[in-house]
Amino acid sequence: MFIDNPSSLSPAAAAPTRPVANGGIVLAGLTKRFGDGMVAVDNIDLRIEPGTYCCLLGPSGCGKTTMLRMIAGHETPSEGAILIDGSNVIGRSPRERGTAMMFQNYALFPHLSVRDNVAFALRVRGVGRQERLREADRVIEQVQLSALANRLPGQLSGGQQQRVALARAIIMRPAVLLLDEPLSALDEFLRLQMRGELRSMQRELGITFVHVTHTQLEAIAVADQVVVMDKGRIAQSAPPREIYAQPRTEYVAAFIGGQNVLHGQVTGVTGSSVTLSGAQGACYLLPHDGTPLATGQTVSFAVRRDRMNVTGEHEALALAPNTLRGRVRELEYQGIYMKVSLATDDPAAPGCVVYVEESRFFKDPVSVGQRVRCHWAADAAHGLAAA
Amino acid sequence: MSALTLTPAPTPIAGDAPVRPWTFYVLALFFAAYVLFLYGPMLCMYVLSFQGEQGALSFPMRGASLHWFHQLWEGRSADIAGAVARSIPLALAVMVITVVVSVAAGLGFRRRVRGSSVLFYAVIVSLTAPGYILGIGTGLMFSLFGWQTSWYTSALGSHLSWTLPFGVLITFAVFGRFDSAFEEAARDLGANSAQTLRLVVLPILAPGIIAIALFGFTLSYDEFARTLQTTGPNNTVPIEIWSMTQNVTSPTIYALGTVTTAISFLCIGAAIVAVAVIQRRRRAPAIS
Amino acid sequence: MRPQYKSWLQLAPLTLVLLLFVAAPLVFVVIVSFFRSDGFDTIPAFSFENYAAVLGSGLTLSLYLKMIKYALMTWAASLVVGFFVAYFLVFHVRNRSIAIGLFLLCTVPFWTSNVIRMISWMPVLAEQGVINSTLLKLGLIDAPLRILLFSDFSVVLAYVHLFTIFMIVPIFNSMSRIDRKLFEAARDAGAGRFKTLWMVVLPLTQSGIVMGSIFVITLVMGDFYVVKVMSGGGSASVVSAMYDNVSTLLFPPAAASAVILLLILTVLIAILTRFVDVRQELVQRS
Repeated sequence: MFIDNPSSLSPAAAAPTRPVANGGIVLAGLTKRFGDGMVAVDNIDLRIEPGTYCCLLGPSGCGKTTMLRMIAGHETPSEGAILIDGSNVIGRSPRERGTAMMFQNYALFPHLSVRDNVAFALRVRGVGRQERLREADRVIEQVQLSALANRLPGQLSGGQQQRVALARAIIMRPAVLLLDEPLSALDEFLRLQMRGELRSMQRELGITFVHVTHTQLEAIAVADQVVVMDKGRIAQSAPPREIYAQPRTEYVAAFIGGQNVLHGQVTGVTGSSVTLSGAQGACYLLPHDGTPLATGQTVSFAVRRDRMNVTGEHEALALAPNTLRGRVRELEYQGIYMKVSLATDDPAAPGCVVYVEESRFFKDPVSVGQRVRCHWAADAAHGLAAA
Repeated sequence: MSALTLTPAPTPIAGDAPVRPWTFYVLALFFAAYVLFLYGPMLCMYVLSFQGEQGALSFPMRGASLHWFHQLWEGRSADIAGAVARSIPLALAVMVITVVVSVAAGLGFRRRVRGSSVLFYAVIVSLTAPGYILGIGTGLMFSLFGWQTSWYTSALGSHLSWTLPFGVLITFAVFGRFDSAFEEAARDLGANSAQTLRLVVLPILAPGIIAIALFGFTLSYDEFARTLQTTGPNNTVPIEIWSMTQNVTSPTIYALGTVTTAISFLCIGAAIVAVAVIQRRRRAPAIS
Repeated sequence: MRPQYKSWLQLAPLTLVLLLFVAAPLVFVVIVSFFRSDGFDTIPAFSFENYAAVLGSGLTLSLYLKMIKYALMTWAASLVVGFFVAYFLVFHVRNRSIAIGLFLLCTVPFWTSNVIRMISWMPVLAEQGVINSTLLKLGLIDAPLRILLFSDFSVVLAYVHLFTIFMIVPIFNSMSRIDRKLFEAARDAGAGRFKTLWMVVLPLTQSGIVMGSIFVITLVMGDFYVVKVMSGGGSASVVSAMYDNVSTLLFPPAAASAVILLLILTVLIAILTRFVDVRQELVQRS
C-alpha cells in the first residue's frame, strides 16, 4: 500500500510493486455527531472503487469536509466503519491508513523550503538526509517544480503552492489522496488549469482521489464518481453524466444546475407515460419509470435547460402539452448559449431558464418583456424522487 | 460664452482626500513631542552620569569624567555589583521559565476547556492587582508558614506573577495567527506530537518566543514593587536603586541608571536582531 | 476526552504559579486583615478592628481622594496622548515597517526600570534643571518655576510618562483592526475628518480605550513610590501608607487597607468590563 521501510528507497526499488487493490474505500454506516447535538454526517454508506477520482459535492455545512477528515483520520467517527482496501482503519493514525491529505490552504510549512516541505514525511520517519532529499527531488520533478526547490512557500504563487502540497502528500505513495477544496484558493483562470493537472496526476499515479468541492462544474469535470451531499446524507452517487442528465431528487437537480424543476399533479398513468396537470392549466407528459403513482399525487420532474425551446407567443396557438407560457425576464449572454430567464404571470407557477444555443437564438431572438412560450419533448423530462 | 471657456478648477468639498492632510503634520509633531517627552529625561541622565568630580546632581556640567562610574563600581553608595550579579541570573531563570510556561499555556488555551476562562481572568488579575499588595501577600504567606523568603523561591515566584501575564498575552497574539492546519499536516505526514512540536510549531512561533523571552528577562530585571517584600536579605538592582533614591546625594545614581539602561538596551537589541534574522531568512530570495 | 487532558496539562504550570503567587498571597492578605496587632507581633484572630480603623480614619479618605484625583488626571492625559499617538501610527504612517519601528520606539523605555525613569526627571524639573535654565535663558520667566518638581504636577507628569504606554498598546491594537475602507465609506457619505473620528473611529476603538483605562487606573491607584519620590517625600498614597505600616511590622492594618483597595479596584474593573469583552479583545483570532 505504501512504503513501509524507508531504507528500501534506493533507485532499484523506486518503482514499488503495488497490490492490485489500490485504495478502494467503503464507508459503512458512517456517522459523526458533534457535542452540541449537531449531526454532521448521518449514517452514510458509500463505495469508492480503487484508482478512481471521486468528488464529494455539496454546499457548506453538508458534511463533505467532515467525511473527508474522518477518512483521513483527523476526525473520529461516532459510529460506523471506514474500510480502505478491505480493512477497517478507524483508530489508526493517518500514516498507518495509507492516506494523505492536501489541505484547503495547503498548510505548507512556512519556515521550510519546498524541498524540506516535501521531504518532511521522510524526515519524521528517520530517513537519512541524502536519501530523503534525493527522493524529494524526484517527486518535485514529477510535479515540475525542480527550479523552485529551494524557495520558501511565501515566495510561490498559488498554483505552485498547490503543486508543492501535492508533492508533499504523494511522496509516501499513499493509496488514497484526500483533497480538501484544493482549488478554492485560486483565481478562476488558474482553477481551470489546475483541475486538469489534478486529473492527469490522478491518472498517472493510479491511486484513488477523494476531492471535496462546492463547485458543480468542477466536480463533473474531474470526477469518475460524483457524490452529491445534503445535510449529512448522500443525495446521489453516480458518474457525472448520470448526475447531470438524470438527477435523482429535486435537491440534486437544483444543486447541479442546468435543470428546471417543475411540479404537477398526476391526472393519468399509462404504460409508458404519466400525465400531470400543472399551474396555469399547463399539462405535462412524463416518461413513466414504473413506480406506482396515485391520481392527484404531486410529482416533481426536471427538464434540462438546453432541451427546452423558446418561441414568441402566438395567442392563436392552443396550449400543447409540455408547454409553459410566460414573459422574458432576463437575457444573459454566455458565449456558447444565451441564458433566457422566463417568468410566468402567476407567481405560484414556476418560471424557467432556457439555454438557447447562440446562433439559433440570434436567428430568431426574443427580447426582455416579450411574451413567449417554452416547449420541450416528453422524453426530455425526467421524474424526480422525493428525497 | 462659448463652450470652450475654461471652467474654474473644482474646489475640494469636505470629504475629498488630499495627499497629506494638515492633520498629518500636526500629529507627526505631536508624536515627535511625545518621543522627546519619553526619551528626554533619560538623555539628560546619561549625560549627567559623565558629570565631573565636582559636579552636582543637575546641570551645569562641571567637566566630564567617569568618576561616578568608578564610585558605582566600588560600591560606596550601594552594593550595585552584588545586586547586578544577583539580578541577572534571576532574570535569566525567570526568562526561561516564562517562555516554557507561556508557550505551554498558549497551546492549552487554544481549546476552550472548562476552567480556561477562570484561568484567563486570573491572568488579568495578576496584571492589574497592585504589585506591592501581591508582594506583601507573598511575604506574609512565607512568614506564616515559617519559610524564609529567598531569591529562587519567593522572588522568582513574584517575578513570574508579573512576567507570565505578558507572556500569555503575547502567545494569544501569536497563536491567533497560527493555523492549526500546520499541526494536522504534520500529523498527516506521520509526525508524532514531539516531532510536530519540535519541527513545526516552535520554529514557526520563534519570533513570538523571542519576544516572550525579552519580556521575561527585562521585566524581571526591572521589577520592583513585588520584589520588595520577597527577595529576602539580598537586594535586586531596582531595590538597590530605590534605597539610593531615599538619599539622593550624588550623580552615582545617574551612573547606575546609565549602566542598567545599557544592559536593557543590549538585551532588546539582541532580541530585535534575532527576530530580524529569522524574518529575513523566511523571505530570502531563491538561493539556487 | 484525551485532548481535554492535554489542554489541562498544558495549562497546569501557569495555574500553579498563579495559584501560589497570586491567589494564595491574596488569600493571605485577606486572612491577615482580620488579625490583631499589638505594635510588634501579629496575633491570629478574627477581628474587624483593622477595617474599622482604616475606614474610620480621615487620613484614609483623604489619601483615596488624592489618589483618585491623580488617577483621573493621569487617565485623561494618557488617554489624549495615547489616542493621538496611536492614531498617528495606525492611520498616518503608510509604511507598515516604519509604523512598527516607531511603535517599538515608544515601547523601549518601558523596559527600563520605572525607578530610573522617575528619577531621571529630577535634573529636568529641578530649579537649576533643564527646563528652568532654558526658560530663564530665553527670558520667558524671571525666576525659576518651583512647581515643576515636588508637586502635584511632577507626580502626574511622572505617571503619564510611565504609564501612557499601557494606553497606547490596547488602542493601537483596536485601531489596527479597523477596516480602512470605513474611512472611504464615511467620505463617500460626506462625513468630514472630525465627524469620521467621532462617529467611526472612536466607537470602534472603545474596547482598546477601556482596556487601557483599566491598566492606567489600577497602576496609579496601586502606586506607592512615584508619589513619594516625585512629591519630595512629603506626600503619601494609599499604598505608601501600607508600605509605612509594613515597615513598622503593622501587617494587619496594612492588609485591611489592601483588601479595601482591592475591592474598590475590582468594582471599578467590573464596571468597566461591562463595556468590553476582555477575552475577545486580548485574544486575537485571525
